[in-house]
Amino acid sequence: MSNPQKKRNFQIEAFKHKVVVDPKYADKTWKILEHAIHEIYNHNSSGLSFEELYRNAYNMVLHKFGEKLYTGLVTTMTAHLKEISKSIEDAQGGLFLEELNRKWNEHNKALQMIRDILMYMDRTFIPSTRKTPVHELGLILWRDNVIYASNIRTRLLDTLLELVHRERTGEVINRGLMRNIIKMLMDLGSSVYQEEFEQQFLEVSAEFYKGESQKFIECCDCGEYLKKAEKRLNEEMERVTHYLDGKSEAKITNVVEKEMIENHMLTLVHMENSGLVKMLLDDRYEDLGRMYTLFRRVSNGLLTIREVMTSHIREIGKQLVTDPEKLKDPVEFVQRLLDEKDKYDSIINLAFSNDKMFQNALNSSFEYFINLNARSPEFISLFVDDKLRKGLKGVTEEDVEVILDKVMMLFRYLQEKDVFEKYYKQHLAKRLLSGKTVSDDAERSLIVKLKTECGYQFTSKLEGMFTDMKTSQDTMQGFYSSHLELGEGPTLTVQVLTTGSWPTQPTVTCNLPAEMSTLCEKFRSYYLGTHTGRRLSWQTNMGTADIKATFGKGQKHELNVSTYQMCVLMLFNNSDRLSYKEIEQATEIPASDLKRCLQSLALVKGKNVLRKEPMSKDIGEEDAFFVNDKFVSKFYKVKIGTVVAQKESEPEKQETRQRVEEDRKPQIEAAIVRIMKSRRVLDHNNIITEVTKQLQSRFLANPTEIKKRIESLIERDFLERDNVDRKLYRYLA
Amino acid sequence: MSVERPSSWTVDSDIDGIDLDPSDFGSSIPLKKVPNGDIFEASRAGDIDRLRYLLETGLNVNARDQWDSVALYYACLAGHLDAARMLLESGAICSEHTFDGDRCHYAALNLKVRKLLKAFEARPPPLAPLQAALRETFLGCGANRAFIEQAASLFPGFASAGDPKYDTFPPDVTFYIQGRPIQGHRVILSARSPFFKKKFEADWEDRNEVRFSKEKLSYTALYSLLHFFYSDRLEISVDDMEDLVRICKVCKCDSLQKTLEKELIHQKYADYKALRDADNSQKRFILQGSSLPAEDRLPAAMSRLLEASLSNSSAYSISPNGGNSLIASVGKLQIGEFVNDLADVCVKVGKRVFRCHQVVLASRSEYFRARISRMKEFYEERDEVPLSKLPYLEEHDLAMETFEKMIEYMYTDSLKEVDPDQAEEMFDAASRYLLFPLKRAVADVLLPHLEMVSPAELCHWLTLSDMYGVLKIREYCLDMIACNFETFADTPEFRAMLLTLPPPSGDSSLRTTVPSAPGAAVNIDQGNLLDDLREKWLEAEAAELDKRDESALLFDNRLEMLMLVAKQENAANPSDGGEG
Repeated sequence: MSNPQKKRNFQIEAFKHKVVVDPKYADKTWKILEHAIHEIYNHNSSGLSFEELYRNAYNMVLHKFGEKLYTGLVTTMTAHLKEISKSIEDAQGGLFLEELNRKWNEHNKALQMIRDILMYMDRTFIPSTRKTPVHELGLILWRDNVIYASNIRTRLLDTLLELVHRERTGEVINRGLMRNIIKMLMDLGSSVYQEEFEQQFLEVSAEFYKGESQKFIECCDCGEYLKKAEKRLNEEMERVTHYLDGKSEAKITNVVEKEMIENHMLTLVHMENSGLVKMLLDDRYEDLGRMYTLFRRVSNGLLTIREVMTSHIREIGKQLVTDPEKLKDPVEFVQRLLDEKDKYDSIINLAFSNDKMFQNALNSSFEYFINLNARSPEFISLFVDDKLRKGLKGVTEEDVEVILDKVMMLFRYLQEKDVFEKYYKQHLAKRLLSGKTVSDDAERSLIVKLKTECGYQFTSKLEGMFTDMKTSQDTMQGFYSSHLELGEGPTLTVQVLTTGSWPTQPTVTCNLPAEMSTLCEKFRSYYLGTHTGRRLSWQTNMGTADIKATFGKGQKHELNVSTYQMCVLMLFNNSDRLSYKEIEQATEIPASDLKRCLQSLALVKGKNVLRKEPMSKDIGEEDAFFVNDKFVSKFYKVKIGTVVAQKESEPEKQETRQRVEEDRKPQIEAAIVRIMKSRRVLDHNNIITEVTKQLQSRFLANPTEIKKRIESLIERDFLERDNVDRKLYRYLA
Repeated sequence: MSVERPSSWTVDSDIDGIDLDPSDFGSSIPLKKVPNGDIFEASRAGDIDRLRYLLETGLNVNARDQWDSVALYYACLAGHLDAARMLLESGAICSEHTFDGDRCHYAALNLKVRKLLKAFEARPPPLAPLQAALRETFLGCGANRAFIEQAASLFPGFASAGDPKYDTFPPDVTFYIQGRPIQGHRVILSARSPFFKKKFEADWEDRNEVRFSKEKLSYTALYSLLHFFYSDRLEISVDDMEDLVRICKVCKCDSLQKTLEKELIHQKYADYKALRDADNSQKRFILQGSSLPAEDRLPAAMSRLLEASLSNSSAYSISPNGGNSLIASVGKLQIGEFVNDLADVCVKVGKRVFRCHQVVLASRSEYFRARISRMKEFYEERDEVPLSKLPYLEEHDLAMETFEKMIEYMYTDSLKEVDPDQAEEMFDAASRYLLFPLKRAVADVLLPHLEMVSPAELCHWLTLSDMYGVLKIREYCLDMIACNFETFADTPEFRAMLLTLPPPSGDSSLRTTVPSAPGAAVNIDQGNLLDDLREKWLEAEAAELDKRDESALLFDNRLEMLMLVAKQENAANPSDGGEG
């Protein structure tokens, strides 16, 4: 047996460790351990036996000397830390941090070794007596004796802040050392880090950036300032990743944002000659983008940008749509709107990262100023007309789509969509009848777009116009195949237009030349023969004719003229000189139309197939007209346009307006009936809002108009007023 | 027929989470007895006596019968809560996404059974100390922890990694499969697989990095296998099982391979029966070490390892002649007598040098973990055995027999034939090396022996158990003394012991708060011995509650008297308290 003295003689203190009987056992053992701790701190651990030290500590705890061991540890370690603290205090200048770091590393290493030696105490004695475990104890003692030492505490803080400041002013500092020291503070507990460093760091930073931002704002323009602010912000974030606690990032960036951006937000935005407006005007995407990313960080930052941008766009837009100079050419006008839209779209796209809020602001601004001008619907329609007449020649399908999409976008901003519809119908009719459409596909594609935007109702008539064109072709084929004898003589092409689909006005039919009127009669009987129950009326104001003319010197030309012009010219087959009165009598063309048509025949240079006496600019009742024998033209075919007012004249405008108002009436009534049918009873205000809501995709209904319609419906017994509450309406049916 | 049933389960604090009343475990239906039934019949009948007997024989609790069902399934189906619980505590698997687990959940008779299953699902049967310690070492390796964290985010409940200690024993080999690392320890891998043993002895001998380039090798499968090597618990997704079978074939883990193959066929077959609605990728298979034959489990493997190194260690015994022959014998040994034990550290205890394995020592004992990691910083007698390349530790104040027993426990989690004479030393070693489970193991061996000892000896054990914190023994001794107080009062050793103990607390408020009042449990393991004795005595001897204080006073007076007597005796015979 290895342990011969251990026999079955049980005595109370029959422990195999006879040490217990030695009253000085505890002191002796502690001396050994204390010595070991000293040696460890003095880097002499290689002479110590781990096993022996552990065994001694174990036995001390086992024999209930744990308390002595623990307090001994605290005293010894405290003494060492006091010494260390002294040596750190003595370190000169820049060596201070290095010394602190070195001592901290040494302490850590020693602490781990001590912890391992005293592991038994750590596992048993400390939990049961609820004391601080050795490792935490070591940290706490370090904190209390070193970090909190009066000569170190403020010096440490000052040194750290000084280093940060020096780095901010461009010096290179020892970041590794900095990181280690900050890490030490964090290891001692997040509260130590916060109290000993972070709080003051943030305060000092706020002070620093307050001064700096003031300096910058005085000497830099907006773009430069933002560049500097961005740089500072990035520097701080980089600083955090290099040597601060990750949790500080939000705090320090907050400080920079507040001092450098939030406090100077308005100054920056409104800075003269370099503020937001200037950037917008100059398309400075980079600066704008920077402003966006920086301002996004602070509350209300984007709101500020948005507000300034909105008011700027509204201002510019207002100028665009109300400047009479710019209203002269509708195509130019719309093009300018489109250009403006493109400009801001690309700003939002490139600089404002397609922010939805900015897009909304842009849209609402456009909506605001486009509707400032009541003629916008007309102009947009004219723009389309222009594009579809000639502008799209030689342009690929994709480009056509792009242009049409842009137009649709402007269309969306319109409040009075029915006005646009009205004009669009007129322009389309003109295009179709005069065969001026460049591309059927483009026309149809636009109609499809309108359809998806406003629904079937909106486009059904437009589609009807296209159908009419198609059926008319078929009808004419049928007509000529059944009247083969008509091969000789003038050719008639009739377009049968469905009433209602087309913007027709009831006009007086003029007297057609004899050749033509017989032909027309034939067609009428053919058509009415194939279709029963229909009525045909001639719209001579909308037709065209190709006539062949031979002039005085034998020069032959084919003249492309309107029906009215054709009637006038045919008169000259029989006479050389005709007075205005004679012409008017013979043709029965309305005076205004006749004047216009004579103007275009006689007064347009290069196309003056007639000659007028006297040679004044205007057509007078007493004027006389001759065939212009001296007419020359380089071309065989000569197109003689009517002098058309591209834009509507004032009375015409009024007329269209009136018609639009007229058209709105049934729509408003229909809406009221629809609403009342489902609600049965509703009060006045609610009807107004509901109607406005239902119709707003088409136009902005006028409340007084709605009220009038309600009155009219009451008169016609669709509705009645409630007997008690006069504001309530009831639906009758 | 009245069946004698054990009192309903005392709901222990761990299970507080589930709302199970003790009454839930009572059953109004008289349960059938199946004295000759197998585990399935016993579970179905709810015959827990039979079941307990069967489980004690050590059969596989997760085995399936001819109807493809496990015992737990029958217990759940029939709603026998206590049978189900007994099975669960013996390691029956009820985890989600496993074939058997899901079946048990579906089959549960009522909500109470489901609750019970849920409670155990969240908390799989705890591993034995050896497996738990090695698993922690495995998961402590950086690469492995990274994987388990990643897996845990994918499959919640895929063996929670726990909170690994920051300083576990470092791995000595890293495998790369498809570029992903798994780390391990040569010793463990070699102990569990002949393939690894051979490789580590031959072409991998000096490498600490092994890269597998085979495309077919599955990372997750190998990871599961390594995890199994350490913890005796296999957890693998069904999709990976085929890969694992292949790996097992290579690694020569025959019994595991067979079990897996059988299970694979079963899973394939089970597919027809399952509704296939469950996401297949989530399906898992869990295997407890207990499903394998004893010789293929971790303790057996470690015990073989220990045997090998012990047989080599014996050669180290220092002959009485002194150092020279030691060196001679070492020289001889170097030549290759014990190349197979993979030992990487020598521990000298008394006159014997034990060849041991760092990973085992470090995994089981924090002391060794620190000691091994600090070998460079502290002084070790390195040059005593100059020819040995192995690191060399020396332990003092310890009998080599004790150390041998202790490493036996460290390697295998079991103790055989502990002499009660050794028990005290074992307690000392267990405390010193922070091997707390060992104390319980020794106490279990010691308890039967205590029934026959004299009062004097019992006093000795009481002081010892109090000192080493062996609760079981301490409790037993206190009970004995309280019940036979007068006998002990007549024993001089008892009186002498009183003198060495700290006085009982005079605070009467402590006295009136009855034993297990919540606030009283502050210092349960290191309470004042005499206070505890008083409580025990009051329980056994005292009058009704209202008279308790008087009784306590009586007891205190009695103690004081006894102490006086003891002092007189001590004065009369001073040598008595001296040397032993």
